[in-house]
Amino acid sequence: MSHVLAVSRGLAWRSLILVRRMPSVFLPSLIMPLFILIATAGAFRGISQLPAFEGASYLAFTIPLATVMGAGFAGINAGMTLARDIEGGFVDRLVASPAPRITLVLGPLLAAAARSLFTTTVVLAAGLIGGVGLPGITGTLVIYLLAVGFSAATACWSMGVAFRARTIQAAPLMQVVVFLSVFTSVAYAPREVLTGWLRHVADINPVTYLIEASRAAELGTLGWAELWPGLLATAGLVAGLGAWALAGLAGLGKR
Amino acid sequence: MPRDRAVEAEGLERVFKGGIRAVDGVDLAVDAGEVFGFLGPNGAGKSTTVRMLATLLRPTGGRARVAGHDLVGDPSAVRRSIGVALQDAAIDPYMTGRELLHLQAVLHGFDRAHGRARAVELLERVDLVAAADRRVGTYSGGMRRRLDLALALVHEPEVLFLDEPTTGLDPISRLTLWDEVRRLNTELGTTVFLTTQYLEEADQLAGRVAIIDGGRIVAEGTPAALKAEVGDPTLRITLADPAAHEAGARALAAFGEALPPERSGALAVRLPGGAQSLPGVVRALDEAGVVAAELDLAMPSLDDVFVARTGRRLEAADGAGEPAAAPAPA
Amino acid sequence: MRPAVTQTAALARRSVVGTLRTPQALVPSLFFPLVLMAIFTGSFGNAPGTIPGFPEVRGFLDFALAGAVLQGILIGGTSAGAAFALDIEGGFFDRLVASPVARTAILVGRLAGGVVIAMAQTLFFVAVGVAFGARIEGGLAGLAVLLVLAAFLSVAVSGLGVVLALRTGSAEAVQGTFPLFFALLFFSSAFFPRETMTGWFKAVADVNPISYLVEAMRDQIVTGVEPRSTLIGLAVVIGMAAAALGGSFLAFRSRLRSAL
Repeated sequence: MSHVLAVSRGLAWRSLILVRRMPSVFLPSLIMPLFILIATAGAFRGISQLPAFEGASYLAFTIPLATVMGAGFAGINAGMTLARDIEGGFVDRLVASPAPRITLVLGPLLAAAARSLFTTTVVLAAGLIGGVGLPGITGTLVIYLLAVGFSAATACWSMGVAFRARTIQAAPLMQVVVFLSVFTSVAYAPREVLTGWLRHVADINPVTYLIEASRAAELGTLGWAELWPGLLATAGLVAGLGAWALAGLAGLGKR
Repeated sequence: MPRDRAVEAEGLERVFKGGIRAVDGVDLAVDAGEVFGFLGPNGAGKSTTVRMLATLLRPTGGRARVAGHDLVGDPSAVRRSIGVALQDAAIDPYMTGRELLHLQAVLHGFDRAHGRARAVELLERVDLVAAADRRVGTYSGGMRRRLDLALALVHEPEVLFLDEPTTGLDPISRLTLWDEVRRLNTELGTTVFLTTQYLEEADQLAGRVAIIDGGRIVAEGTPAALKAEVGDPTLRITLADPAAHEAGARALAAFGEALPPERSGALAVRLPGGAQSLPGVVRALDEAGVVAAELDLAMPSLDDVFVARTGRRLEAADGAGEPAAAPAPA
Repeated sequence: MRPAVTQTAALARRSVVGTLRTPQALVPSLFFPLVLMAIFTGSFGNAPGTIPGFPEVRGFLDFALAGAVLQGILIGGTSAGAAFALDIEGGFFDRLVASPVARTAILVGRLAGGVVIAMAQTLFFVAVGVAFGARIEGGLAGLAVLLVLAAFLSVAVSGLGVVLALRTGSAEAVQGTFPLFFALLFFSSAFFPRETMTGWFKAVADVNPISYLVEAMRDQIVTGVEPRSTLIGLAVVIGMAAAALGGSFLAFRSRLRSAL
């Protein structure tokens, strides 16, 4: 077990190093959540005048969207790195070595989680600059926890795609599905404001409950009733997509 | 200036920013109807020279005429007379071969009907009729190069520039392309200006070659004459009976200087007469009662020419000699 | 003159065929704007009529349609510029330059192909919008103005791509401009009215030319042909197109200066 941890940590470290040495890969994943925060909060500020917002600041309302998107980018990046490693032969080398195979999934997962902690911090700091204070210890921890959870879920999704497609050409598939999952939830407005098809999709989209919990934490309205659906949805996503990634890993030797 | 010169350059020169003299005073004279091989290692100035002659790059010095038109004075007349197939076949993967040929024809001023007819003609010439309506993305490397060649031929150019036409091709595709080049030279009389890093390619196709290194021409002439300059061919004989060594050496003494053999039971001799002396050698051995198991005439290569002129090898991967094996006498 | 026209048409046709046959370039320019339009419509359906300052409009879809048209052209125009860079990378450009093809045909053919695609895209978005209940208040005249605005915007965006393609010869560099357009798009009134913005964000949207362009497009759909906004929008987009066109001719000339 400690061997698994050591190798996973090594692999996670490698992907974090790659990030630092290839700023062209890293910067977008830092800038994108900030861009989403600023552009969304600035452009759609007017919508928060609807009664359903109960007077909440739209910038505060948008922070969970940005932390979740930052986590999503971190997860996608894990899948893209893996796809490149499969193309470049790094994975073959690893599979041929005595390193436990499970580390191929755990390493990128750890790296994605670490990066989501970083992007979440950056988004919260931007919020502070914009005049939105931190929501207390419990609230802040919940925001971090849900971001890490989402990064794990999206990393598993993207790695599952990478194991099957075995090419970086599959990157758009990883991205599109993650983006759609976030934007067909409660990205821009609370559920009671949504209309038509979006309302129905958001009701059954697990990301809705994740963002709602994070948003309740941010806005200081967090209670058990908001928290447990979010935790359940996150756990479900990680479990389901983890199985998808592990099944992909198992298929690796059988080409 | 005589009209029957297809390409004529005097002191052609290209200095890039930063003072790099990629082409440093090149003189060339290519006759109409010739296949001219332009040899040199990577970075020697081959492609820069071709890009200048094809009007893609302005010379910084010297003069040149292509198909009788002054390069700098009348580049559009040059463009009308030349066909260009540059490195890395420039082909849209999502278009079909027929569409690309038709487009090229229209760009050269053919009307639609003539363009279509011309496309069919060229597809037949390069043997791509069966693949005409497939997207080029599905073509093999050899098919792409053949299509690229056809595209350069649409307007029946007087001079065809081929820049490394077979780089990266497998041996069979290479042979097919060589046949194509020979055919259009003999059937249409097209002058071919061929750059290559492959000695064998120049040897096979070109009537005359020039070797460029460091932006200057270091050798020019027919392949045979260039090789003869370097030295005489070597004949190696493997004896059926090693004991006949002495008798064999005596029989060969009249043909040229004896060389140290590579192993026992073998003979080696410098053969200034080349292949023409072979019948005499065979007769002399026969008269001396010496039976040869194998005869091997090694010609000096263009690589040897390059080594002689520059002290370096042109193509590290290429062997030192090109064997011209003759059947042993019975 | 005649051969130059035929050559331009042939090259424009090639670039249209190329776009239609590379779904990975075509699909994003159709798919993303429509998805975003659907999501915004679902998120902000209650905004018109309840938020103070929101312009009068039949529904949010009618409001969002112009933003989708604009976004589609930004994506498509960038691809057209990138395709031109690929011609340079791949050598097709050299083959044209070494042939007697008219110089202007090489440039204008590519831009004209982009215009054809942009106008077809606009019609497609309008058709989808109408199918889901939007109404073009400007009628045929409004649609015609919308197409003209789309055509000029396409020249502006792909022209900028062409400038970069000629200066760098790299398709990646051209694709790299897309985030810039994306930022311009979001910091404008493309998706939400300027009237509801505040502070520095509003100040940015107020000076962002995209705001005036999208508002001119939107008026054709929401209110009918409105001379004032239409003229402002036309002036903005013609200015952008002229600058891009001038820039690409200069870049083209300087690239060919090294040739004969």
